[in-house]
Amino acid sequence: MGTIVSAANVSKDYKLGKTEVRALRGVSLDVHRGEFLAIAGPSGSGKTTLLNLIGCVDTPTSGTVNIDGRDTRSLSERALTDLRLHKIGFIFQTFNLVPVLTLYQNVEFPLLLQGGLGRAERRKRIEGLLEAVGLLDHARHRPSELSGGQRQRVAVARALVTRPPLVLADEPTANLDSLTGSNVIDLMREMNRRKGTTFVFSTHDPKVMSHASAVVRIADGLIVGREELNDIVAASGT
Amino acid sequence: MLLTDLQIAARNLVNHTRRNAILAAAVATVTALLVVLGGVTAGIRAAMFESATALLTGHVNVGGFFKITSGSGAALVSDFEKVLADARRVVPEIRFAVVRGRGYAKAISETQSVDQVLFGIDVRSEPVFREVVHLSAGRLDDLSQPGTVLLFEEQARQLGVHVGDALTLSAPTTRGVSNTVDVRVVAIASNVGILSSGTAFLPSETLRQLYQLKRSTTGAIMLYLEDPAAARRVAARLRGALASAGWRVMDADPRPYWEKLAGVKSEDWVGQKLDVTTWEDELSWLMWILKALQGLAGLLIGVLTVIVIVGILNTLAIAIRERTQEIGTLRAIGMQRTRVLWLFLLEAALLGTTGTIAGALAGAGISGLLNVAGIPMPEAAQTILMQRYLTLSVSFGTAAGSAAVIAAVTTFAALYPAWYAARLLPVTAMHHVG
Ligand SMILES: Nc1ncnc2c1ncn2[C@@H]1O[C@H](COP(=O)(O)OP(=O)(O)OP(=O)(O)O)[C@@H](O)[C@H]1O
Ligand SMILES: [Mg+2]
Repeated sequence: MGTIVSAANVSKDYKLGKTEVRALRGVSLDVHRGEFLAIAGPSGSGKTTLLNLIGCVDTPTSGTVNIDGRDTRSLSERALTDLRLHKIGFIFQTFNLVPVLTLYQNVEFPLLLQGGLGRAERRKRIEGLLEAVGLLDHARHRPSELSGGQRQRVAVARALVTRPPLVLADEPTANLDSLTGSNVIDLMREMNRRKGTTFVFSTHDPKVMSHASAVVRIADGLIVGREELNDIVAASGT
Repeated sequence: MLLTDLQIAARNLVNHTRRNAILAAAVATVTALLVVLGGVTAGIRAAMFESATALLTGHVNVGGFFKITSGSGAALVSDFEKVLADARRVVPEIRFAVVRGRGYAKAISETQSVDQVLFGIDVRSEPVFREVVHLSAGRLDDLSQPGTVLLFEEQARQLGVHVGDALTLSAPTTRGVSNTVDVRVVAIASNVGILSSGTAFLPSETLRQLYQLKRSTTGAIMLYLEDPAAARRVAARLRGALASAGWRVMDADPRPYWEKLAGVKSEDWVGQKLDVTTWEDELSWLMWILKALQGLAGLLIGVLTVIVIVGILNTLAIAIRERTQEIGTLRAIGMQRTRVLWLFLLEAALLGTTGTIAGALAGAGISGLLNVAGIPMPEAAQTILMQRYLTLSVSFGTAAGSAAVIAAVTTFAALYPAWYAARLLPVTAMHHVG
């Protein structure tokens, strides 16, 4: 079973005026295909920063990030964009929906970018996902008409719609009550099981962590521990 | 793919309703302004053309010079009826033709004397003359009686004469002796800018009498075409045809006839030569006004366009900067920079096209309303502009041209801010504030 993500000695510094914030201070992490990996840590510990680096939306100050066996430093901007489009689904902590598009259109967007699927196929997929996150009734609404939790679920649907091999989820249940939260986790879990999709998600929630195949603990920009919890269930998808 | 992009761009436009409405309105306003401004200059051009071709020149003229001796010369066409018949044969585009005497004389009133350019006309056979000449006193039809004259207000004032007063015209004949005729002022017309200054009209017969010319002699045959723009082509054809019909025809020379007279007098030939000219040739001395006017309008339009470009650039830059987060998201999801650019370009193009089309229509509408309103031009402006009332002439071509320019500017104004935002790291763009 290969590694889909391999981060080696990754650091990330942010400059804030004169002071430098060291968000990550030499993190090394391998994620195996089919893993359902949780990243846990207190607020400000660097979870989002790490996910952004893995998701190729940010670049490390030092260290290397390999995705699918490719060193992201050696990839052109164009190739990185293609990687994001075809290999990665990202659920941002701040959701980042496109405000002018309806829920349906937001979820449809990555499919339009990828091309290839016909209108009817797209529709089936989008409606299936909206149904799964309980928002089919709101398909024609704009993000601004939704609660934070509803937006979060749209972001989940958008990340899963292209069925990417790797999904990065930054606190995907943070704004959800425990029932909807576990629905979302179930959805992710099912995709993990059925399609072998690799999930890396950050969370504070012990209940969410309990579903993970492993939990990586991060504090102050450093990985401080890793516990294997459950077997990796999805070997079939790779 | 294009359909998808169009769809996305259109969605963005429709959904950012308020901002886009404001932007489109700005674009429309500017386009309308350009169209109206273009209409004003084109209107002035048209008025100038209309007045000048009614008063001073045909679209194509067959004039010429007659030299009794090699040292003399006069702007005359002898046997003009035969010339006209030949001209009609080769120029089927002629809408109508008028025959006019030409002269230059001293007009003497009881108190004053003034040099005058004279035109001998048959007022009853002048279709467009009546449309351009607006009488402030007297009757135009009286000009068909021999021994009469039409003056413009400016000369009437200089000479101190009114309708009914007598004038003496004095000029040297072709044989070099001075001759006079007495004429009665029967009509005084409003000035037509500098076109009418120093110009008077009298019956052809009376002008012939002054110069002691035969009935078969006139100053020039003025041809009016269906399409004035064809004048140059028609003139060239006519020149060739008249030459092959046996007339002696002068080479093309883009000057008015009175500027050629001195040269002709010093040439070594006698008899008749014909000279075919276009309205542009005869009015070349006037072109500076048009040039100045166009320069001025060009400057105005230029300044306006620069302001507009800066304005649109600025507004779009703000509008797009506000969407930096959105661009960051699009990039994070996997949209290529070039696609982001293309999308924003498309969006701006849609906006620009909609705005400019609306603006061009509005501009045409406003121009139409201004024409209907009949706003009188100030006296001073009339001299140069030859319009009594503000008259705009909006052509589809210029309106479409203005619209295209503004639409293009709008489209490309989006390029820089969109490129700027698309260049950022997705995460930086996503966290952009403001
Ligand atoms: N764009 C930025 N500019 C400056 N500092 C930043 C930036 N993003 C993150 N940081 C800093 O880096 C550190 C790690 O931040 P990060 O967002 O990765 O934490 P986190 O673990 O995701 O926290 P939370 O659980 O609150 O989401 C923090 O100290 C934060 O202040
Ligand atoms: Mg975070």
